[in-house]
Amino acid sequence: MPEPSPRQGVAWVLTLDFALRAAVGEREMVHLIENPTLLDAPWSPYYCRQILVWNNLLLPAMDLAAWLRGQPAPRERTLVGVFAYQARPEAEPDYGALLLAAIPERARVTDDQACALPEQPSGWRTLAISCFQRGGQPVPILDLPFAFTGGLR
Amino acid sequence: MMDLQSSPELAVLVLDGRPWLLPQVEVASLEPLPDIDPEVRVPHSIGAIAYRDAWWPVYCVSGDLRILSRMPDHRRICLLLDNGADQFGLVCDQVEVLAEPPTLFPLPACMRMPDSPIEALALLAAGLGCATTTEHLARLIATAEHADA
Repeated sequence: MPEPSPRQGVAWVLTLDFALRAAVGEREMVHLIENPTLLDAPWSPYYCRQILVWNNLLLPAMDLAAWLRGQPAPRERTLVGVFAYQARPEAEPDYGALLLAAIPERARVTDDQACALPEQPSGWRTLAISCFQRGGQPVPILDLPFAFTGGLR
Repeated sequence: MMDLQSSPELAVLVLDGRPWLLPQVEVASLEPLPDIDPEVRVPHSIGAIAYRDAWWPVYCVSGDLRILSRMPDHRRICLLLDNGADQFGLVCDQVEVLAEPPTLFPLPACMRMPDSPIEALALLAAGLGCATTTEHLARLIATAEHADA
């Protein structure tokens, strides 16, 4: 009897900074914007200091690399992805933006690529729901609802 | 607390180029800067204005609402605020009332900070507007330390 083939899905692999990679589901990323206009917001956390105006909405533009590293770092290019998430099951989609360092790559992922989360930065344990191997490197899968609904404190 | 969503008219006060939105109903008066008496002081104030038979303490805050002990040169007018519980003045670069109320967006959950005075955001011609209330400003002043000390 043949072995069942492992389940396969499609993910976007995001470059958060010069070294940090993460992934989201294929349908979670809805738009990519190069050189967007970002508006500074006062009284905001160091990892989410800017607002992106998108489709008549004001979206938080989050720097997950800053949160993972505990401090923001200058960026050579400004690239943001717009992501859809559901704050709870059955809810209408909400949107948020992530600062990126490179154009996301589309990747096919199978169950047998599953692996442990990286130990460092330790924030991956809070931010990621799972992880897979790609090119010998672990790629954590982001919990976008958690990040955008205020889970990162 | 004032419900900003139900406040039909909002005043825009500009501080260091940043627009802040306040319920128009909380604006008591606009007064010229020369009317500020710098000799009448309470903690953190830069002086006081006599209005309605009382001294209203006047404060100077930065574009991100940090208390300043010295007034920047570009402050041009004093806004007197009254929400029934708090009465004080704030020196501003500019004050205007919006002809059309802007769409207010709740502050995204991932941007909320403890003690933040921001209740909502709005996209204005002058940039990103942050909506707050006199109650928030009064609380900030009561707990403030000078940003430029």
